[in-house]
Amino acid sequence: MIPEHDRVSLRPEQATIPPGHSWNRIPVIGAACALLGIVACAILGLGNPKQFFFSWLVSFLFFLSLALGALFFVLIQYAAQGGWGIVLRRIGEMTFATIPVIAALFLPLLLGLHDLFEWSHAEAVAEDALLRWKAPYLNVPFFLIRAALYFGIWSFIAILYYRGSRGQDVTGDPGVSARLRRLAGPAIIVLALTQTFASVDWIMSLTPHWYSTMFGVYFFAGSFVGFIALLSVVAAAMRQAGLLDTVISAEHLQDVGKLLFAFTVFWTYIAFSQFFLMWYANLPEETVWYQARLEGSWMTVSLVLIAGHFVAPFFYLMGRAVKRRNSTLAIGGAWLLAMHFLDLYWQVMPTLHPEGFRPSLLDVAALVAVGGCFVAAASWLMRRQALVPLRDPRLAESLAFENA
Amino acid sequence: MAQTEAELLDNPVAGHPTLILRSPDFHSITDAVAEPIERKTPIGWWLFFIPSVALLSILGVAVSWLFWEGIGIWGLNVPVGWSWDITNFVFWIGIGHAGTLISAILFLFRQTWRTSINRAAEAMTIFAVMCALIFPGIHVGRVWVAYWMFPLPNQMGTWPNFRSPLLWDVFAVSVYGTVSLLFWYVGLIPDLAMMRDRAKTRARKLAYGFFALGWRGSQRQWHHYESAYLVLAALATPLVLSVHSIVSMDFAVSVLPGWHTTIFPPYFVAGAIFSGFAMVLTLMVICRKVFRLEHIVTLRHFDYMAKIMLVTGSMVGFAYGTEFFTAWYSGNPYEFFTFLNRAGGPYAWAYWIMVSCNVISPQVFWFKKARTSIPILFVMSIIINIGMWFERFVIITTSLHRDFLPSAWGYFTPTMWDVACLLGSFGLFFTMFCLFVRFVPMVATSEVKTVLPQANPHGQPGPERESKVHRSDHGRGELAPEGAS
Amino acid sequence: MPFLVPQLPKGPNYGILAEFATPTDLYHACERVRDAGFTRWDAHTPFPVHGLSRAMGLRRSPLPWIVLGMGLTGAALGFVLQWWVHATAQPLVISGKPFFAWPAMIPVTFELGVLFAALGAVFGMLGLNRLPMHHHPLFRSKVFERVTDDAFFISIESWDPRFDPTATGKLLESLGARSVELLESE
Repeated sequence: MIPEHDRVSLRPEQATIPPGHSWNRIPVIGAACALLGIVACAILGLGNPKQFFFSWLVSFLFFLSLALGALFFVLIQYAAQGGWGIVLRRIGEMTFATIPVIAALFLPLLLGLHDLFEWSHAEAVAEDALLRWKAPYLNVPFFLIRAALYFGIWSFIAILYYRGSRGQDVTGDPGVSARLRRLAGPAIIVLALTQTFASVDWIMSLTPHWYSTMFGVYFFAGSFVGFIALLSVVAAAMRQAGLLDTVISAEHLQDVGKLLFAFTVFWTYIAFSQFFLMWYANLPEETVWYQARLEGSWMTVSLVLIAGHFVAPFFYLMGRAVKRRNSTLAIGGAWLLAMHFLDLYWQVMPTLHPEGFRPSLLDVAALVAVGGCFVAAASWLMRRQALVPLRDPRLAESLAFENA
Repeated sequence: MAQTEAELLDNPVAGHPTLILRSPDFHSITDAVAEPIERKTPIGWWLFFIPSVALLSILGVAVSWLFWEGIGIWGLNVPVGWSWDITNFVFWIGIGHAGTLISAILFLFRQTWRTSINRAAEAMTIFAVMCALIFPGIHVGRVWVAYWMFPLPNQMGTWPNFRSPLLWDVFAVSVYGTVSLLFWYVGLIPDLAMMRDRAKTRARKLAYGFFALGWRGSQRQWHHYESAYLVLAALATPLVLSVHSIVSMDFAVSVLPGWHTTIFPPYFVAGAIFSGFAMVLTLMVICRKVFRLEHIVTLRHFDYMAKIMLVTGSMVGFAYGTEFFTAWYSGNPYEFFTFLNRAGGPYAWAYWIMVSCNVISPQVFWFKKARTSIPILFVMSIIINIGMWFERFVIITTSLHRDFLPSAWGYFTPTMWDVACLLGSFGLFFTMFCLFVRFVPMVATSEVKTVLPQANPHGQPGPERESKVHRSDHGRGELAPEGAS
Repeated sequence: MPFLVPQLPKGPNYGILAEFATPTDLYHACERVRDAGFTRWDAHTPFPVHGLSRAMGLRRSPLPWIVLGMGLTGAALGFVLQWWVHATAQPLVISGKPFFAWPAMIPVTFELGVLFAALGAVFGMLGLNRLPMHHHPLFRSKVFERVTDDAFFISIESWDPRFDPTATGKLLESLGARSVELLESE
């Protein structure tokens, strides 16, 4: 640990990736994966376009949810004037700075709107009174306008906060913090609204007859768990790799672990509430969504989600020691990342495969492709700057942070 | 060096904000909190207590008449079988939740500013739960068989229906009341010991001493105590979320449009915190003035509270918007009609009171001037509580009065007994709160002391000791014992 | 019951009580007393001083384990009660659900789990702290009245193997105590 009197400011060398460090190679590895994945998708997808679009949708949603979770995390830190997390904020910033890249990764889905969404078929709408009712909202032009709007707004907020924070590294201007803090409140509201409607558009409308007021909250819960899980993995990995090991302490890891625990419980609460209310009232127009997911092999996936997204992490993350060590926290985080992916998979795939759980090579190919782009983008940003906001006025407080 | 309140209100970009003004020492905090209780009862207290008792007696009369004559004295009818009774229940339970949030959730988030208000807020929770419990208790009609709600042997040899949300309420609210009482009491033990040690009369010494359990500030005791406090906070957090979620399920598990909505659990919780903070604000604005605690419950505390109200109010507004959009999106004609009826039907007046009080007026809290102006805070706190009462009224009554079958449509008008029960419940609440502030330290004194700069053991040494550079080993025992140094 | 009997030294003296001016003084003094090898001693403060448990060398409280055990017990009880009532003792078809409708059993299970856990926390804490204990030799000290106000103390009990009425007192004085007092047993 750096002695107290030395912690007031960090030297840039303590907070950047040194040249020659193995992590410098991550962008290339990411790009290679992306290329490999895209080629695989192209080859496998030609024969099975529908599967390709669904697989791509799941992976796209997964990485988008991580980026949006990161944006929420950083905005909340600014709005609540939290001091402890400042050393971790840059990780969040690099995660959400990938949003423009993710926007580009949305484009392939535009070729598959007819494969994905029943409501995009004019004949289906003509025959179905409910789809006709929803047509003012669920139509392709408005869908595209909304998508552009979401990405435009998200990119704007992301770039604003990213540039602001990076600029402060150079100027050390405390006014930046004040300005970003003031904007955080309205930004959170805008983010909440756009994220809700995006989840309605991209997931809920896969089953166009179905509806749930909770859905936006459900997507938020999953995305926040996903980001905190990512944060725990990245922070632990950085420490293990000798980066920021004098900056991020076991105290910070423990706090990330506590957040991971808390939001896992929150996700469970939200997911269960949605299920429970629909189970209890037993209205066919609502149960149709769960029925598809609770029959046959999808039931097995549901049980895996309950056990893996709630029960196991609940008991695993309860203990203090687990949250303070690199390896154990990273395992918990990686596991929850996998569970979050499974959750999104479980939400999306039964539309394509109502008969049962049918994993496909395209699922893997899409994950590698989208993931490779995401990792390449985020890690490329990582190489170009300090890994902590060097001249944030409250950095010292964050460095000295200690749990009770 | 005392800073002016205005200076302190500037959001600090770096460092911790000063929470307690006038740089007091530990003893003056003790005095400030204990002294008002030790004095002769001030006139101001009687001015609040007597009207509260008067309202409480109205409650007594109303409830007695209700037991004698039956539920018919209220305005309930078919189709509106629930209205003010359950509105009041949800209203009071909701208010209680802010106390738990301040005690438990803000503790988990290490928000040390909570120490000035958590004692009063926790007390508020207990009294709010008392008021809440009255309504499901009295609205059953045959109150003399209310024990049927519990898994106790009864003359029919039947068990309660554990699958009913009404029964989950029984468990949830009683567990909530119990845990809140325990949490409040545990927090109170050190302060009761403080009162015991200051007591001038034998009666006071015995009374405070009995409940202080012989507390002597031992670190070995603080050790387990702090563990218990953390555990209770960690338990109370999911508890408060579950209680109001279960209350929301009274409505959400039904098939009634306007009631059956999946977002109800978190939406109700957010609304509860919203209204609860408003009530804490109302109480604190009055108490800090009457008891001269403005340097402990400061404008900064009110600033934070107003921000929390802005957040939770926004969540409530978000839920209103989501519900409305989904009502249209669902394509369900009954669902959509319910929302159009709320905004434009016979109860539109209630709906627009709700929207203006809950969504429009709290926007004023975006402005720091409003968040730190006592008159605005006080008026807003009352407006918000009016709005939140109307929210529950709108949800319950409008969904009932016009549901699936137009021939079954109706309208509810309250009778004087509905009004009497509501007013009377305020009487119970304020009577209990007056008694609380009269006899019990209303600020968590030992907790407030921990936020003073002098409480930090890594600060300056005392005057008798010459200052040396100390390397504290943080308990790792690495420094060899030096013997007498 | 041996659990509730207060554990106090048997001799004529209870021990030595030393008063300190500030939390800082107390903290450093505690580290020295801990390092000097005393075991039967305690610090007394009006509020919990940050890090003092470490300065005293105290082990982590076992309370969370008690709470976990109680919580699981309560939850199990709630679940079994509901299962027994609805699937065995009084099976009724309610709103078309199966007899063993586990989702509907979750609210009561959860609430009872929390109740038992909270009771475990409170009564476990009181038990571990051996409270209530309305009488204690420390209360005979006049200066000790300020322990709930603004004074900080270390007390070393006479049945500690390293206790000596004069040497221990001198040690505490050298650690910066404002006053040192030898207390008699009750």
